[in-house]
Amino acid sequence: MASTAQKAGEASSELCAPLQLQASLTLDFARDEFAEHTVLAASRQEPPLKVVRAFNVQGGAALAHLHNVSGGLLGGDQLALKVNVGACAHVQLTTTGATRIYRPRRQALPATQSNEFTVNEGALLEYVPDAIIPYAGARFSQTTTIHLARGAGIFWWEILAPGREARGESFAYDSVEMKTNVIALNQPIASERARIEPARRSTQSFGRLGPYRTWATFCIARVGPSPAEWLALEHELREQAMPLTQHGETLWAVSALPAHGLMVRCVAVHGRHVLPGLQALWQTAKRRLYGQDAVPPRKVN
Amino acid sequence: MQEIVNMERDSANEAFAQGDALADLRLLHLADSALPVGALAHSFGMESLTSCEMLTTRDLPDFLQAYLEEAGTMEATFCREAFHLPAATASESDFMARWVQLNDQLSARKPGRESRAGSASLGGNFLQVVLNLAELPLARTALDASKRSASLVHHSTAFGLACGLLGFAENRVVLVYLHQSVASLVSSCQRLLPLGQSEAARILWNLKPAIITAVDRSAALALDEACCFMPLLDWGAMEHPALGTRLFIS
Repeated sequence: MASTAQKAGEASSELCAPLQLQASLTLDFARDEFAEHTVLAASRQEPPLKVVRAFNVQGGAALAHLHNVSGGLLGGDQLALKVNVGACAHVQLTTTGATRIYRPRRQALPATQSNEFTVNEGALLEYVPDAIIPYAGARFSQTTTIHLARGAGIFWWEILAPGREARGESFAYDSVEMKTNVIALNQPIASERARIEPARRSTQSFGRLGPYRTWATFCIARVGPSPAEWLALEHELREQAMPLTQHGETLWAVSALPAHGLMVRCVAVHGRHVLPGLQALWQTAKRRLYGQDAVPPRKVN
Repeated sequence: MQEIVNMERDSANEAFAQGDALADLRLLHLADSALPVGALAHSFGMESLTSCEMLTTRDLPDFLQAYLEEAGTMEATFCREAFHLPAATASESDFMARWVQLNDQLSARKPGRESRAGSASLGGNFLQVVLNLAELPLARTALDASKRSASLVHHSTAFGLACGLLGFAENRVVLVYLHQSVASLVSSCQRLLPLGQSEAARILWNLKPAIITAVDRSAALALDEACCFMPLLDWGAMEHPALGTRLFIS
């Protein structure tokens, strides 16, 4: 028979045990033909992931803010986001702030985030989140899969900060792994596999980031335009990106994917230069591909 | 499918039935920079990096070390996958579908349009050269399948497939592939940077342990696990079309 002290010890260790949270957020957007705008037709939400409501915004689109009410990801968290954008729907998704990846307990597994986006025929998804900030010691793995049907399009970016720079933390995290697949009509058009382990492989190597600290990747895709049209857009965006490039400060690059899209890459010493550049290129590409303005998501006022 | 592969290997071995020494020589031949595949015409983004003085002779060893840890390991993983593909597929149609899929996956990993096309140019040329040297019906099937589906044939996958069909030892194939890739980059740098023959030879000599490490790592990786984080090289590859004066196609 266990003693009271033993039981108390067990209870206490249970309370202190790392909480590994599994949660998912499933969002299903549909085009309301009668109202002529996109609505959040269904959702399944498990804390800490939450979407409060979808707002009607310009062009009949729905804007939804992805909340993580725990403020970020803790070690061992396994979060899943699944978004279905129905035929001809237009959705803009953003976060309410930076995605913080907290320092895990020593024994904790990496925090994982799995994102799956299905963009159906003629639909458009604009996924424009704030930066991911991995804290010192953080271990994070993100997998993103985007499926595009005929006529479907995306504007999708990710920004990876080096850490909490204001606290002097830069590349103090253990590891960040980002796997992304963009698949158009069952063909992979963009596939990224980045594994960054600053203590094992220097980010300052000239093959990696060199003197730059923030990394951003921006995929612009739409199933439909011809390779020649993508090439023309590549030239146009490159011309626009050239003055944004300041060697030693920020570098921008644009290139056509094997099919159906473009990839934009940015590395910057200071993260503040990244978002304005992304927004400027997004604006040009959206006008060219959709004849509409890109409207950055409204967040606080 | 395994029977066809064995027959192909037997036939290759019959034709070349003169032991390991001949296999080694033939493998060296296929990896030689003098093989007419066009390797000398591509810098794969290094021209952009050197033209803006981001990459200098002093940084080159560190850059190439990172290259081997990232892009080199990834290419080695794809090379291995192609090496095993004939034996891993159940029928010719399955082989063709998976060959095209493998190359499409690698295309999607390469964000720079010109570097992607460069890799495909070398891969297509390589298979064509090998087909002129040896009777390899499956390599012909692969090339035709890629043409029919307008899919690219990359250098690492072409090298792995052809050398597997020729019956060479897997690890040697991947080692030799990676060695010639890095040697080709060093050779590009001799035309782009103040880098003399002796220093180039010394850099390549010192990189051999890193080549072996990359090859060993690739043996333990699934395709999906093979990562590549080289933002500056990506930048160089993606921005190469913007260079006013160019020595290289990519």
